[in-house]
Amino acid sequence: MTGLKEIFRHRWKGLLLFLSVAGPGIITSNVDNDAGGIATYSLAGSRFGYSLLWSLIPIMVALFIIQEMSARMGVVTGKGLSDLIRERFGVKVTVYLLMAVVLTNFGNVIAEFAGIASSLEIFHLSKYITVPVGALLVWLMVVKGTYRSVEKIFLFACLFYLAYIISGFLAKPDWSVIGHSLATPRLALSAAPLGMLIGLVGTTIAPWMQFYLQASIVEKNVLVKNYKQARMDVLLGSIVVTVVAGFIVLTCAATIFKAGIPIETAKDAAEALRPLAGRYCSALFAFGLLNASLFAASILPLSTAFLVCEGMGWESGINKKFSEAPQFYGLYTLLIFLGAGIILLPKMPLFPVMYISQIINGLVLPVIMVIMLILINNKKLMGEYTNKKFYNILSWITVAVLAAICTAYLFFLLRG
Amino acid sequence: MEQVERNSQADRSGSLALKKRQENGGQLFHYFSDFLGRGILAASGKPVGRLYDFKVRLGELFPKITAIVIKRRGKHWELDWPSVENLSGRLIRLRPGTELAFRPLSVGQDEILLREDLLDKQVVDTFGAKIERVNDVHLLSVNPELRLVHVDYGARGLLRRLGWLRVVDAFTDWLFGYRPQERLLSWKHIQPLASDPQRRDLKTNVTLRKLHELHPSDLADIIEELDQESRRRIFQSLDLETAAETLQEMEPKLQLTMLETATAEKASDILEEMDPDEATDLLSDLPQDKQQKLIRTMERPSREKVEELLRFEEGTAGSLMTKDYISVREEQTLGQALEEFRKTELPLDSVAYLYVTDAEGRLKGVLTLRHLLLCDRDAPAGQMMNTHLVTVKADSDAKEVLELFKKYKFMALPVVDENDRLTGLITLKDVIGQK
Repeated sequence: MTGLKEIFRHRWKGLLLFLSVAGPGIITSNVDNDAGGIATYSLAGSRFGYSLLWSLIPIMVALFIIQEMSARMGVVTGKGLSDLIRERFGVKVTVYLLMAVVLTNFGNVIAEFAGIASSLEIFHLSKYITVPVGALLVWLMVVKGTYRSVEKIFLFACLFYLAYIISGFLAKPDWSVIGHSLATPRLALSAAPLGMLIGLVGTTIAPWMQFYLQASIVEKNVLVKNYKQARMDVLLGSIVVTVVAGFIVLTCAATIFKAGIPIETAKDAAEALRPLAGRYCSALFAFGLLNASLFAASILPLSTAFLVCEGMGWESGINKKFSEAPQFYGLYTLLIFLGAGIILLPKMPLFPVMYISQIINGLVLPVIMVIMLILINNKKLMGEYTNKKFYNILSWITVAVLAAICTAYLFFLLRG
Repeated sequence: MEQVERNSQADRSGSLALKKRQENGGQLFHYFSDFLGRGILAASGKPVGRLYDFKVRLGELFPKITAIVIKRRGKHWELDWPSVENLSGRLIRLRPGTELAFRPLSVGQDEILLREDLLDKQVVDTFGAKIERVNDVHLLSVNPELRLVHVDYGARGLLRRLGWLRVVDAFTDWLFGYRPQERLLSWKHIQPLASDPQRRDLKTNVTLRKLHELHPSDLADIIEELDQESRRRIFQSLDLETAAETLQEMEPKLQLTMLETATAEKASDILEEMDPDEATDLLSDLPQDKQQKLIRTMERPSREKVEELLRFEEGTAGSLMTKDYISVREEQTLGQALEEFRKTELPLDSVAYLYVTDAEGRLKGVLTLRHLLLCDRDAPAGQMMNTHLVTVKADSDAKEVLELFKKYKFMALPVVDENDRLTGLITLKDVIGQK
């Protein structure tokens, strides 16, 4: 009896500990399904049917490997990724790399505002109203410090992704075709499918996520002895992302691809939810896309400003005054308002913007991975927590494959 | 801005004359980044390698460079500074015969490497109580020595290292007629933090000395911003009293982690050193078993105080109060009361008032420092005391206590039980700390 009680107490304690450490991985993965994510997954399903579905499995493995490294570096060193890059690679590498990261993240910020604009266009609201209001809202939320309380609402609204899973079943897809596609990975060697593949990789494993995840782990002050829980959290997050991504692709394949309509606006993409929501599908999709866009729009510029200031040694933090941390607030504000401003240009193609930003993510990713691999194998930094040999082999293969795909894509793209 | 002004003032005393000479053409100040990668030549003119690092022995106000370091076949080698003939031009020349004196690098307890331990790393500016990142290191050549005088944390240092300084200067000269200012911090206010994990533990006490100049509140802010390993090292280097004061200033979550990283013995020593009410707050956040373990290892008087305070629920007057106060009996003289005051080591805000009780410990009145200093030493306390008392009960709401403080503007309020017996004291400081 006492034995049982003991076990129960232990389990309970384990669960509590898990919940207290849990968070960074799950939150990161939900932010990851942002406007660019929803757009890219929708496009992948509606243009290529089930044929790219298989790629999500290796992407999930790669996602876990990379996120696990971010988390491990955060736990062991207690420092952010740009901090480590600065201390180990010096000023030059840091500055040029951060420039690339800022530009990439800026692309994502633009995509989030494209998401806000296109989701509310469904309700016939002009982007000239929705985007400035959205930008101001996001800016104020962080500067006024109300973000933490709003975060829970965002997270809760992520249950929206369940709609895709239900709709996916209701659309009665051909499961045998799906099974066949998963079992026999195939890739046509031309710019369009390669670009889509890079987009899928880039949106699922966005470079900014690695900085963000590591920073969250550091902020949560996770100790080395609690690392296992953090790893569980990351694993769970990776699975959640992939399942959601898979169902968006699958549902779009079963509905839009089958009907043969190309996606040009959010209204077209919303058709995937028709089996579940009928004529309310547009409203449901608009809600989901808006939530995803706002969620990421409030994290991305902030996380970018943090990572730059950390690497450069500038003061940062929303508890500082503007005069104390001018670079931090300046960059944060610039990213938001410039990003929103670009969407306000007339005739801005919203869906392509969301998609292209993810391809850029994918092209920058191998560079970030190489940097991370060098850092994590540094004995001085990581002590006994460097990568194991097998893990290293797997990681370097991932980098090589990614680099090869990117090179092939650029080659086909330039050749026309 | 402020810091640069402050530094230039600090420098004025010592190095103004030197600065003048520098302007006149003598290269006296150097940037470390300019030396990095310079070719090293033997006296014969044969190249020996490229400069990888400088080794510095700490201890002096502006420490000397003691060795040059090169990297050859993946290993680091050092050569003592006196072997360097001269530094001028783009090359470093060695004295005859010294090129064979290179030996494997070893870094002692009180030594640091400029590139490995300082450049691009975080340091604490103990004057401004801030953390800065080092963009460059400023050296002064006082023949035949080279000394470490400043660290550069400004935009100019960054641009210099990127190789953009000339272009940017030309541009800003043309556009604004102005250049970004040099931001230098004098080495006497710099505490380096980073170091190699293999040498880390040896160095703890020797090299973190400058941090102890900081006020515990500033130290706590700085520790909060650092990584776990630096936190642990800094915290371990503090003496018990400073550690206790610093811990009190940290945010509650971090207090727990800091205490967990210390050995059980040190943890309980620190708790004894803290104000009992602060120690109790900290302990009450710990799981039951850990709490008990720590309390058991604490010494008698503090242990009893803490155990008593732990009984009060959070949000009550009891949870705010401390056991640190002075009380005298009615029949004792003011002279005796003054003697009590002299003996105490309690913080000033706990002894702003002295409390007067009867034989049963019931609170009868209060004495202030003014009574002790101005009144007749032989008069009994019971006669001189102020009998208009404002008291709180241990179980009253913390908000009520705050209201009383606002109304009466006292430095402290006594806590009594249902029989009016004095059980504790709440100071203004404790109330301010309350959220």
